Amino acid sequence: MNKPTLLLIDDEERILRSLRMLFFTGYEVHMTTDPQEALRILREKQVHVIVSDQRMPEMQGSELLRQAREVSPATMRILLTGYSDIEASIASVNEGEVFRYLMKPWSAEEVKQVVAEAAAIAEASFAAAQHAPAAIAAASDKKPRVLIMDHDEATAKVVHEVLQDRCEIIWASDAQHAMEELAKQDISVVVSDLMLGDTNVGYILKTIKQINPQTQCIVVTSFNDTSRLVELINQAQISRYLPKPLSKSMLGRNLEYMLERFQTLCSMPVLQKRQSVAPIADPQEKQLSGNFASLLSRLRKVSV
Amino acid sequence: MRQEIRDGRDVLSLAVPLHPISPSVPLEEVAELFLNPDYAKVLSLPVVDGGRPVGMISRYKFMDIYLKPYGRELHGKRPVSSYMVDKPLVVAHDQPLAEAALHVTQNMRFPLMEDFIITENGSYAGIGFVVDLLRAMELQLRSHTQELNDAYSRLKSSQLALVQSEKMASLGQMVAGIAHEINTPLGYVQNNVSMGQELFAQVQAMNDSYENLVDNLLDEGASEEQVSALMQKVAAMRSGTNAREMLQAMQGLMADSLYGIGQISELVLNLKNFSRMDAAATEAVSLNDCIESALNIGRNVLKNNNVEVIKDLGDLPRITCAPSQLNQVFLNLFTNAAQAMEGSGRLGIKTWAEDGAIMVAVQDNGKGIPAENLARIFDPFFTTKPVGQGTGLGLAITHQIIEQHGGEIRVESEVGAGTCFYIKLPTGSVAAREEADEASVATALAMLHAA
Repeated sequence: MNKPTLLLIDDEERILRSLRMLFFTGYEVHMTTDPQEALRILREKQVHVIVSDQRMPEMQGSELLRQAREVSPATMRILLTGYSDIEASIASVNEGEVFRYLMKPWSAEEVKQVVAEAAAIAEASFAAAQHAPAAIAAASDKKPRVLIMDHDEATAKVVHEVLQDRCEIIWASDAQHAMEELAKQDISVVVSDLMLGDTNVGYILKTIKQINPQTQCIVVTSFNDTSRLVELINQAQISRYLPKPLSKSMLGRNLEYMLERFQTLCSMPVLQKRQSVAPIADPQEKQLSGNFASLLSRLRKVSV
Repeated sequence: MRQEIRDGRDVLSLAVPLHPISPSVPLEEVAELFLNPDYAKVLSLPVVDGGRPVGMISRYKFMDIYLKPYGRELHGKRPVSSYMVDKPLVVAHDQPLAEAALHVTQNMRFPLMEDFIITENGSYAGIGFVVDLLRAMELQLRSHTQELNDAYSRLKSSQLALVQSEKMASLGQMVAGIAHEINTPLGYVQNNVSMGQELFAQVQAMNDSYENLVDNLLDEGASEEQVSALMQKVAAMRSGTNAREMLQAMQGLMADSLYGIGQISELVLNLKNFSRMDAAATEAVSLNDCIESALNIGRNVLKNNNVEVIKDLGDLPRITCAPSQLNQVFLNLFTNAAQAMEGSGRLGIKTWAEDGAIMVAVQDNGKGIPAENLARIFDPFFTTKPVGQGTGLGLAITHQIIEQHGGEIRVESEVGAGTCFYIKLPTGSVAAREEADEASVATALAMLHAA
């Protein structure tokens, strides 16, 4: 079996040399300090995983990964950065759509494991792309469901304006209500603030993504905290992070895109793995998530 | 307001409800009143017609008439209205005390011969004594002074907090920048060391097998089978890992790691030099060193903004100053310049000495500062950055530090062409900085007042 291909980009060659040593036994490793060169390699070779630095003189990592998405959509994208500025992390979600956001200095074991996981997923994606169905199965007649988890009515209003009656729109203004709705039925897209009343909804989003990887989460918030965002990228694979106050056109565009992605993931389950999440790290959240998950499975059994 | 009424500090509270006299009352009745011991303090009596004050008859005027020969006989029967002042001093009950006092003092005659009348909605409410009014004013002034003092000390402490928070904000940004900059070398050093550890274990196992094989080969008692089993084990190990290549690669990584550790040490040293936490508050230094130190610390920001630094540092005499503060000044100017330059900018830093002064010019080719902003850039809280991105105190503090060093800072700018800051510091001894914080608060307050 061929080794998976790994592409490393960093403006510090010593980082590249060090990572190559970590991976050269299990992977075909390509490395470069030049983002244009990286894009050329992506065009010419089947690259399973790309690991990029964020701050580089010629191009930001999130921008490189955005272009990588176009050039080679099946390649899994990982950001490895020593800087934690909020703009970079937001861009890595919205533009780079990264699989993981990793910090320097890294744990060799963790990076190895993440890259291996990503490589396996990419392998499956490439295979699926080859046997892609001629046409995606016609979308089901059922209206997609959009769940709004936000205390702020303005969010619900904007979503209503954008989607009108094309979707079933449910507005939950507290965590209890949100969890009940999530238990009752599968949701296509969740539009959620980070705080729902007093509840930090992080664990709810993380749990949903563990159980229903096809559900797309759009986080809308005025709250900017890099470390929490990084956590949500890795452990909840949120699809978008949009600042409040919400722009109608921006939310509209993204909702449209996420509804479409939901359809694609439903018809090609192999792609769902692309958004598989890292385990929840925070012990308290882990427990909350466990409780919520068992509640979900109980309720669903009853309703079936 | 309510408080003032209870405390008797408004105009109405000064009113003495003296029974007024009507204009037709003959002067001899007025004489009785002035002789009444209850009225001993009263300088004048109010004349009221139909509730409205129409005049005032003063004791002085009355005496003037009565003490003249036959005064009493000539004038006693005539109505008071003929002798009164028909434009009495009137103060409305709801007039602020200060306004009333101003009105009274501007219109009273010397020597003081009359009191003033207090009206409530135009009607007579009583008379007021000028002395009482002045006393009330004094009380009010005293309490205002107290309030002013309180406000001053509140302002002083919040100003101190603001100056401190600006210091902390720029320090925090800087430390965060450096911490992140350390992450890159730390990343590969840590990775290399952990791979090295693994490789050592592998090489050690291999070495053990070799030694074991050699021992067995040298041992005449060892069986052929034993030796061949060991040989196979060694062969398997050799084919499993390319130890020679791995070791060679690791040697390169160790060199990288040493380089990385050097980088980390340099960053830490830069931080130490910049903060000068372990140095005296004032010492004799060359400004060129301060500039280099600020450049080292700001390298991150300059690099991220693709700024090319062009230095032209002349020979400078050392000056006694507070280096940590001047470092802050230069870092502030450099990072401002970096932020003003979009795309690739050029930051020119020039130093030279001229008659008793050291000159520094910091020139950028950024977007420049419009004339209407240029005059205000040293004002505290003036900022063109979005809310949350700047306190508006950076240049105000810069200005203050330079002033405290007995120097000057000025700015020239052209929109679209760039901005140049000129700093002039005297080479002579600079005022002692023991009371730096006190002085900085005073200057900051002065700036606040000016703003």
